[in-house]
Amino acid sequence: MQDSSSSSFQGQTIIQLENVSVEYRVPQEQIGTFKEYIIRLLEGKVKHRTFKALNDVSFNVNQGEVFGLIGQNGAGKSTLLKLVARVLRPTRGRVRVMGHVAPLLEVGAGFHPELTGRENVYLNGAMLGFSRDEMEEKIPRIIEFSELADFIDAPIRTYSSGMSARLGFALATDSQPDILIVDEILSVGDEAFQHKSYERIQSIKAQGASILLVSHSMSVIETNCQRAAWIHHGQLIALGDAKAVVAQYSGSVLENESERLSIQMNTVEGKLALTNNKSPYRWGNRKIEITHVHITDLAGKDQTIFNTGQSLRLHIDYEAHECISAPVFGVAIHRQDGIHITGPNTAQAGLTLPMIDGAGRIYYEIASLPLLEGLYSFSIAVVNKNENEIFDYHDRLYSFRIVNQENHTKERYGILTLNGRWELEVPQIIELK
Amino acid sequence: MKVQPALPVIYDSTRRGSAVFEELREALNYHHLIWQLVRRDILARYKRSFLGVAWTMLNPLGMMLVWTIAFSQFFKSASLPSYPAYVLSGLLAWTFFSQTTTASMVNLIWGGGLLNRIYIPRVSFALAAQGTGMVNLSLSLVPLIVVMLLTGLPIHLSFIFIPVSVLVLCAFALGVGLLISTWAVYFPDISEMYQIILVAWMFLTPIMYPETVLPADYRVYITMLNPMYHMVKLFRIPTYYGRFPTWVEFLVPFMIALVTLVLGWVVFARKSDEFAYRI
Repeated sequence: MQDSSSSSFQGQTIIQLENVSVEYRVPQEQIGTFKEYIIRLLEGKVKHRTFKALNDVSFNVNQGEVFGLIGQNGAGKSTLLKLVARVLRPTRGRVRVMGHVAPLLEVGAGFHPELTGRENVYLNGAMLGFSRDEMEEKIPRIIEFSELADFIDAPIRTYSSGMSARLGFALATDSQPDILIVDEILSVGDEAFQHKSYERIQSIKAQGASILLVSHSMSVIETNCQRAAWIHHGQLIALGDAKAVVAQYSGSVLENESERLSIQMNTVEGKLALTNNKSPYRWGNRKIEITHVHITDLAGKDQTIFNTGQSLRLHIDYEAHECISAPVFGVAIHRQDGIHITGPNTAQAGLTLPMIDGAGRIYYEIASLPLLEGLYSFSIAVVNKNENEIFDYHDRLYSFRIVNQENHTKERYGILTLNGRWELEVPQIIELK
Repeated sequence: MKVQPALPVIYDSTRRGSAVFEELREALNYHHLIWQLVRRDILARYKRSFLGVAWTMLNPLGMMLVWTIAFSQFFKSASLPSYPAYVLSGLLAWTFFSQTTTASMVNLIWGGGLLNRIYIPRVSFALAAQGTGMVNLSLSLVPLIVVMLLTGLPIHLSFIFIPVSVLVLCAFALGVGLLISTWAVYFPDISEMYQIILVAWMFLTPIMYPETVLPADYRVYITMLNPMYHMVKLFRIPTYYGRFPTWVEFLVPFMIALVTLVLGWVVFARKSDEFAYRI
């Protein structure tokens, strides 16, 4: 077979899943000890429930394809990988895998600390199905690739975690597998080694191997995979072109988060009432109380996810329990990582409030949000005229998210867009003769 | 350049025979791995100790010395030509059994992380434990021969029967090892419990005392119903007693070992599909 590709399964379906379900029987309560089990058994109280890790999943992966798996933690991605690696058998359905599978997950898991690097390579090679003789031939290449020539005869316990990961990677990828399983993109060793491992994977791919890639990074899936599958609670939600599946997945994640953020908003009041004076997120003497806050668009419709460039209106309901002259209302915006972005207040805006008493409402409006993608929060405060008496302070209680789906700007580094302008001063045009 | 391992390449989850034979076939496919695991056990055990492999021989000798000092006065009257050799021969068989069964269990739990990531036959650990046990036992034959010669016991031709005795013992230990490993996957305290059971079992087996010291009323229970009595005896006959076993002396332990092995293997192979999400 003199083919440019070394795969023996040219053009074939290499992984085939037909209506695959995996069910675990798990005890309803955790029974840790044998004694407990016997007691429960005698009482007739051992109850099991079935947990469906995968439910009727079907798809194929073709030879030479890089196939992505996405989904939240616990969605069933690892179960799927285990099926392909034949570690787990499906309860129903059929799994067919053609060719050698090399798992690249937490490489080096099987290393024994007392043995030397070399001995461990032989042992792990045997786990991949290689005899000692076959490993003899591979070992120089493995040592060279892992750059561990000086340490290969030292016990693994003297290795740094980066070193053993490098050895594990070199070992797992030295054989040309038909299927490579990559669980989370490699973060092995230093940058130079990462580059090297990336190249190694590219070359395995170039020789016709299929790659099954699991990642939480959508950009990794988009840039590397042709097709992808989205799994949610054990079910196949979407299958097809990687970009389309990623878009669908991201959309749903945002929707869920929007729901979560609005729930958070709705329960803030309750939370505040409950934790009245002791809440670490609220302080002040409550002469003026901030009773309700919500974030909307300009039309007054509740919204918690905004695009860069959109408008936002903040509604602040208050109730003054006594007559207060010229209070100052302020807001602060923080990014999730704690960076304080801005902190405008009514006094700085040149607005002097009249004497207030009883309930009322004040708005803060942003005509065009300059913030870039991320999670942000509002703090709301009301203080006295001299800003030395705090009536009520809600610290970062109102979250909102900025996304960039409408291409208001292509900028994506840092926190905000300054709407700056680029200009090229055209130099003298040099005519070429 | 041969880069891929010589293993079957097409896997179909629906096409497989019984789990019992599947496991056997895969164990044969992965014989390299089992050998490497034995190597690892032996290398790792002696890597950090000064006397290295010598410990395999010194360990039973030391144990024998303790037993001899403690008990030889009690059992002197009994018709034992060389008490040290009697104790040592029994101790070797017992140590083999207790070490390999414990190792089967411990290695399976230790290897749990591996079983979750990569396919290897699950019996590999138990088989490797037997291999390690056999290497250790072979090495400890040296002190046995020395002690026998020093205490005036001749070495008979019957020594050539030792491999048969060891194989029978090994089959029994593998069966027990597989059974308790299966339970230990489900109930972690089995491994603690088993250590206590082993101590009790050892005292109920005529290792440091001759079976003749047992009261006649109980003797039949302790000897006939205790499989290890037959296993230890099958090892002692060609070594300490210096003769070949009779057919009955051979067939009884042989049948016990065979039944235990088949039972252990079937239970283990049937449950082993569940291990990946249990360990």
